[in-house]
Amino acid sequence: MAEKRRSGPVMSDPKAAKCETDHEFLSQSGVSALLRGALLKLVESRSDDPIGFLAEHFGHLSSEVDDGSAENLTVSRSLWHLSLSHHSQRSAFNNNVRVAYELLTQSAPRRRSAGGVRGVVYTEVLRCLCSEGGLSGASAAPLLQRIQCHDYEAVPFELFRQGVLTCSVFADYIRKSQCLYAAVARAPDRPAERALCQAVLATLQEALETADGADVARYLEASAKISPAKLAQAMAEARPPSQQQEGPTMDAQEFEDAAAALFIARVRKVT
Amino acid sequence: MSVEPVSCTIKTPVALQIGDTVSDLSRPGVYITDITLAEPVNIQEISFKNYYTAYLTVRVQQREDGSVKWVTCLRNHCLMANPHAEAGSHDYFSIYRQQMSAKPDNVMTVRLILRQPSSEWLNFNIEEINIYPCVKEDTEWDVPAWLSTLTPVETSLDLNGLPDPETVSSSIQQMWALTEIMQASQNAASIGRFDVDGSYDVKLLSFT
Repeated sequence: MAEKRRSGPVMSDPKAAKCETDHEFLSQSGVSALLRGALLKLVESRSDDPIGFLAEHFGHLSSEVDDGSAENLTVSRSLWHLSLSHHSQRSAFNNNVRVAYELLTQSAPRRRSAGGVRGVVYTEVLRCLCSEGGLSGASAAPLLQRIQCHDYEAVPFELFRQGVLTCSVFADYIRKSQCLYAAVARAPDRPAERALCQAVLATLQEALETADGADVARYLEASAKISPAKLAQAMAEARPPSQQQEGPTMDAQEFEDAAAALFIARVRKVT
Repeated sequence: MSVEPVSCTIKTPVALQIGDTVSDLSRPGVYITDITLAEPVNIQEISFKNYYTAYLTVRVQQREDGSVKWVTCLRNHCLMANPHAEAGSHDYFSIYRQQMSAKPDNVMTVRLILRQPSSEWLNFNIEEINIYPCVKEDTEWDVPAWLSTLTPVETSLDLNGLPDPETVSSSIQQMWALTEIMQASQNAASIGRFDVDGSYDVKLLSFT
């Protein structure tokens, strides 16, 4: 009876029913929320390969749903989350750390680990982060020694976040120190002079050791110590222009280790 | 800086007139006010409220090594630009140490000579006189050493053969900033390795 009153042809009837079904289908399955989440993640990470990123994202989601994953898969998934944003994108980075932490705490088989991520998993995550950041095992070892935890200990979220951030920042720091060495060496094939390297590292150390005080005063004082004028003065004193012959040199690895030592000395040991 | 005015006794103004004060009908054009101070003071500032005084002269009696002498510190300081008009007639004034021709140190008495040549006004005076002493600046603002070396000395550094300071400085600044980020993110989060139910047990110290 109702069909006869419709003005349009009978053909429109199945189409209208189909549209309703489509809309209903999308809202019931929650696909719109899924797509929204995927697009947000993509925008946050600004990946160079959007399709690959989306494929990985949905792959991880589907394996999460399966919930029968082995521990190393969980570690790799949490590492993928941690790699999504740079530590300078503070809120996105914190979100990703939180997601990774949740993943790792939920992955504990049988019993839920009280208090956080298991120490062995935490250490594994940090080690992988360092190697992904381009650090060799030897460079990362002193840092890991300071911040890693025993296998049986449970790592709370704050410590987890701090450790992850420290590793990411350290990777950037080592990259910067390599740029610095290149700048001091002036030529890519020649090693840098030892006196210059030591002078440059000494200025950095002096800036880092600026006395405690109000933050603003400390920053101003430190930045005054590493201004170009101060550095020019330090370098000129270390190697007077009148000195023609080349002094002893320092190779890149030694410079990197010395710079790393300055950073690691300031990392708080975990207790 | 808030300085308390010194306590002083202000005597009533005495008019200088030719002739008899009582019988003479013309109004006086000069008043003299003496201010006695309780103890010798180095004056930093004299502040007062004017009431139709046109010109002010300040003389101080200084005590130096036993002898007293009068010194003129300020001669005919103009308070009202036009003595017949209202401008400056009710203003607040401050006379500073720097304006005085002689240093007002070890002052026992201050003599203010007020002049008003205009016959417009029935009366003239100055009120609310306060004398402020010199305050010894105990808290000298310590200029930090690094602040004084900010502007580089213009010695031409021979940078032949040296790396470019701008590039080096830029890298170092970024390294410093990264270290600061790491330090700032460090908080008191601990894993409680040595905690036993929240307290520190000596027997559990491990040799790590």
